[in-house]
Amino acid sequence: MKNKIFSSLLKYIVLAVILAFLLFPIYWVLITSFKSNMEAYRYPPSFFPVAPTLDAYIKLFEVNNDFFVYYKNNFIVSGVTALITTILAIFSGYALSRFRFKWNKWAVALLLSSQIFPVVSRMISLYDLLGDINLINTMEGLILALIADMLPFTVLLMVSFFDAVPNAIEEAAFIDGATRGQILFTIVTPLVKPGMLAVGLYAFLATWDDYLHAATLIQTDTLRTLSAGVALRYLGELSYDWSLINTISIIGTVPMVALFFFFQKYMVKGLVAGAVKG
Amino acid sequence: MSRPLRKKLIPMKRSTGDIIFSSLLLLPALIMTIVFIVVPIVDSVIKSFLDFRIKNIISGQPGEWNNFANYIRLFQSQKLMGAIIATFSFVIFVVILQFIFGMILALILNSNVKFARFIRSIMMTPWVVPTIISALIWMWMFQPQYGLIKYFVGLVSGGEITNFAMLNNPKTALLGIGIAALWKQIPLTTLLLLAGLQNVPDDMLEAATIDGAGKTRRFFDIVLPYLKSVIKIVISMAIIANFKQFPLIWTMTGGGPDNSTTTLAVLSYREAFVSNNLGSGAAVTTIWMLLMIVVILIYNKLLGATDID
Repeated sequence: MKNKIFSSLLKYIVLAVILAFLLFPIYWVLITSFKSNMEAYRYPPSFFPVAPTLDAYIKLFEVNNDFFVYYKNNFIVSGVTALITTILAIFSGYALSRFRFKWNKWAVALLLSSQIFPVVSRMISLYDLLGDINLINTMEGLILALIADMLPFTVLLMVSFFDAVPNAIEEAAFIDGATRGQILFTIVTPLVKPGMLAVGLYAFLATWDDYLHAATLIQTDTLRTLSAGVALRYLGELSYDWSLINTISIIGTVPMVALFFFFQKYMVKGLVAGAVKG
Repeated sequence: MSRPLRKKLIPMKRSTGDIIFSSLLLLPALIMTIVFIVVPIVDSVIKSFLDFRIKNIISGQPGEWNNFANYIRLFQSQKLMGAIIATFSFVIFVVILQFIFGMILALILNSNVKFARFIRSIMMTPWVVPTIISALIWMWMFQPQYGLIKYFVGLVSGGEITNFAMLNNPKTALLGIGIAALWKQIPLTTLLLLAGLQNVPDDMLEAATIDGAGKTRRFFDIVLPYLKSVIKIVISMAIIANFKQFPLIWTMTGGGPDNSTTTLAVLSYREAFVSNNLGSGAAVTTIWMLLMIVVILIYNKLLGATDID
């Protein structure tokens, strides 16, 4: 009995320590963003803002509003990428799930292996190749490169969602004279809505996180996305303006946290389907 | 992520219509993958044998074959070996700890702990924090004058260590980045392992309990074998992600101090886009890709490969 209480206690202590490691840094950045610069640099630090202030946020809006250009660009780039990726993933996912031809195996092998190669090696070459077709330093070029980056994982994810739909429904529709296109778009696609959401959200989150593509393929400051813009504009000097950076951290993260918690059910299902059931 | 393709087919005839329809559906994704991934990778391998710099792009001149000069220069300098060692240290450290802590947290969350569902959702937060911002969060934690970690180290050491600067010391900088990487990656590992644990059939566990198997015994004899495929995927995802890690390291230290955090990713980026020597950067990524392929082959061999089909 004593042993049981002890092991249960130990369990909760370990849980608390791991959770503190995962969550405390976020709390720390959040409260720092509400401190004045004076208080943020105080030593020893205060664990709760003594005089909470919105100064850092106001300064971000008024003085450093280039940030919001990057922010807007990133919404455009991630949104378009997520949309096109989802559509292409539906097409290929359905083809790989329902039709079994000998080249399917090669298509899957191609998609799987393209995930392991380093992004830098692609960028070295795309920097040159996109220049040849006048897509360097454009959002279109960046979006195309990002879609290609997202496709392997999302297509394979979509395959697993299509696999879960029984094909009796399609057989019936086929006998009733529906075309292959009608079957896909009006009958099967509505059944994989959770999969579409999972794929779209994954692509949005993952491209929101992109740094390397934007940092190498875009040179014009006003076309930059969040990570590249922040890194190149605010992290250049030796001493950082920490209250500004903590504020940027919070505003740059909030949409992702909101998206994740709002659509958690689909995201978790998608992530698990992509990895575990495979 | 390899998975068997559906065995049972729609009973349509494998007619020409099917072939056309399915290839039309597959085509856009395949073209994108080939144009933006396969071709660039092959092209970068070719460029690694050329004298190819930014000025070649500007003037439109093709690179010139330079008798392996990129490779020779890399092998002669200490940089390449240093980067390989840094990369492997980083990958091994992060992957092992990520797995251990992810497994511990998953086991705890799977054991009737209170608020398990709620904890499972909030613990995912670091995973959605963008990598650059994760780097900034930990740079603020490790900040050498006002940082929280410095304060804690001062407290724990009874005021003896007053100049603790994780990222500024060549001995600890890579460790500091490793901690940030663990912070961001433990949540997904936990989520996937937890999903795997929930697939372990309860009746097997109950039967084993009735037969008198203790907790440890049940874990190693029932739970682990069931989890094997999930574990294999989780670890290979972790190896690939950490092998490729760039923005975290680049933001936190830029490869320094004293090149102690210059991994292959940092070295290739610096050669290609800071020194503007694309050929040399491509040589680094080519070596890097070869190493990665070798690691994955060894890994698959060790774990008894189940492969693509």
